[in-house]
Amino acid sequence: MTAAPLLEVREVRVCYGPRRAPVHAVDGVSFTLAAGESLGLVGESGCGKSTLGRALLRLEPLQNGRIVFAGVDISALRDSRLKSFRGQAQMIFQDPHGALNPRLSVGSMLGEALAAHRRCRRAERAGRVADLLRAVGLDPLYARRYPHEFSGGQRQRVGLARALAVQPRLIVADEPVSALDVSVQVQILNLLQDLQRDLNLALLFIAHDLAAVRYLCQRVLVMYLGRIVESGPAAAVYAHPRHPYTAALLSAVPDVERGLQARRSGARRLVLPGDVPSPAADIPGCPFHPRCPSAEARCRVASPALRAVETDRCAACHFAETL
Amino acid sequence: MTATVHNPLIEVENLRVHFYGGAQPVCAVDGISFAIGAGETVALVGESGCGKSVTALALTRLVPQPAGRIVGGQVRLAGRDVLALSAAELRGLRGRDIAYIFQEPGSALNPVFTVGYQIGEAIRWHRSGSDVRAETLQMMRRVGLPEPEQQLRRYPHELSGGQQQRAMIAMALVCRPRLLVADEPTTALDVTIQAQILDLLQSLQQELGMAVLLITHNLGLVAETAHRVCLMYAGRIVESGIAEQVLAVPRHPYTRALLAAVPHLAQGAGRLRAIAGQVPNPAGLPPGCKFHPRCPLCRPRCRVAEPDWEEPPDHQGVRCFYWRSA
Repeated sequence: MTAAPLLEVREVRVCYGPRRAPVHAVDGVSFTLAAGESLGLVGESGCGKSTLGRALLRLEPLQNGRIVFAGVDISALRDSRLKSFRGQAQMIFQDPHGALNPRLSVGSMLGEALAAHRRCRRAERAGRVADLLRAVGLDPLYARRYPHEFSGGQRQRVGLARALAVQPRLIVADEPVSALDVSVQVQILNLLQDLQRDLNLALLFIAHDLAAVRYLCQRVLVMYLGRIVESGPAAAVYAHPRHPYTAALLSAVPDVERGLQARRSGARRLVLPGDVPSPAADIPGCPFHPRCPSAEARCRVASPALRAVETDRCAACHFAETL
Repeated sequence: MTATVHNPLIEVENLRVHFYGGAQPVCAVDGISFAIGAGETVALVGESGCGKSVTALALTRLVPQPAGRIVGGQVRLAGRDVLALSAAELRGLRGRDIAYIFQEPGSALNPVFTVGYQIGEAIRWHRSGSDVRAETLQMMRRVGLPEPEQQLRRYPHELSGGQQQRAMIAMALVCRPRLLVADEPTTALDVTIQAQILDLLQSLQQELGMAVLLITHNLGLVAETAHRVCLMYAGRIVESGIAEQVLAVPRHPYTRALLAAVPHLAQGAGRLRAIAGQVPNPAGLPPGCKFHPRCPLCRPRCRVAEPDWEEPPDHQGVRCFYWRSA
């Protein structure tokens, strides 16, 4: 990959709370995302994945770090230039009900996005709204309906249409299917997959569902307590995790095929002790060591940096090679 | 359907629950039958609105009043007719013979009472004369709540989600019930905590020999924990049988579609087949087979007639006209 990536994130840090005792929700995260690439961001609640997703779109203030989008440093953009960036990078939210204005019809909602970013003339707007609805698998006549008239899956389609209205190059999707029924989830996953391929969108897919990430994403980032602990091609990471946390996450996911196999072989899943720690906790050494099944003396004092362990793969563990 | 259970602890037969309030009564549960033996885990699987939680509540007549009403069928616990019990007898049954844990421990616990008080409540109620504090502490230790002496005095909001669910489990199991109804017990938890809770439930089940009714939408969870499974759709059971058998060779088009629509960890490049349409609203169910608008095998007959329950000799029952031809 020689071409410059669409999105380059360097040492991004997001803090909450008072200045003298800040809580690092995102603590020095770096990665790149190429045009047309789908990247999964996984981790448990409170690990900072949603904060990171929002920070990338400048919806959270950055403490420090740089975000370069299409060659432009967007970390300090303001006013009209920030708005033009947002016309190229859009977000889809977890709860499609809360993310849609209940008092706007779908048509005016999509029209508003088109008008705000001057994507088409007023006369063309209705036609463009119809195109958008068709693109996400909805009847163009639905433009006159309001959010409460739709099912959860349909609302998520509307949310997707609104994101697509401005013809973005990057979409950050924060748990877009976890509020939906199982049989409807795949409809949305497939739609995301099609649109991403057809429109050459870069997709950052934030989820706690590791199987959905595997299905949709080429690469994956694993986050723990505000840091990336493992990254690499999804197939390789899932087949052979290089960080004990990734291994534990994968082992904990209930899976039909593995469950049936385990019945025959009597294999047990790996169970991590303890709770997901609060990002406010001050843990010396490796942040994961209190729950890590393979922690040693060194892990209690020295925090491992994220480093390359194989081609295209990084892990933040002292013992990544022997795992 | 009861044929696979030789000595059932609980038997549900042709249970029907309606909700009143709109112009037409809504049929939330429409003729459900199943049985669970002691020590056995049966999973009731379905999507939102399929009636699985209402079925669970009906076992102890906890269906929300006055809108909901059990309009037919039987529930027998160790031979006793639950639907004919008096209010006092029901109070004796709830929490002692049948206990529940729910999806959201944060909202199922009472915010104004301490955790210790809530765990001990069932002991005070059902076994007067026992040493409530000692038994509460013992149960808290058993479910892995750290520092039980201190936790005893804490309020639910002071506990993490995983600890709240442990407290719920302690509350449910403190009287050693014969049946535990676990309604989506891990859905609200992170995967690593979910694994802890599942492990705990499995070891407690073995220890106490209780029956478990696991209500879930997660087929992975069924594969890992259930002995038998019943799949529900629109208030009816559409397939049931030994979990391994059903998941390996599903018969009903809904079961098949659901299995084909769930992403796997070992996913290849293959594309998942989505189920068309959406989960039906119980207030506006289609005529004929309730699954026909979404069914890839749908034929004219399915639009007008509802298939009967059919149970081949291997006890993998199914409600479909054409399951053999697929």
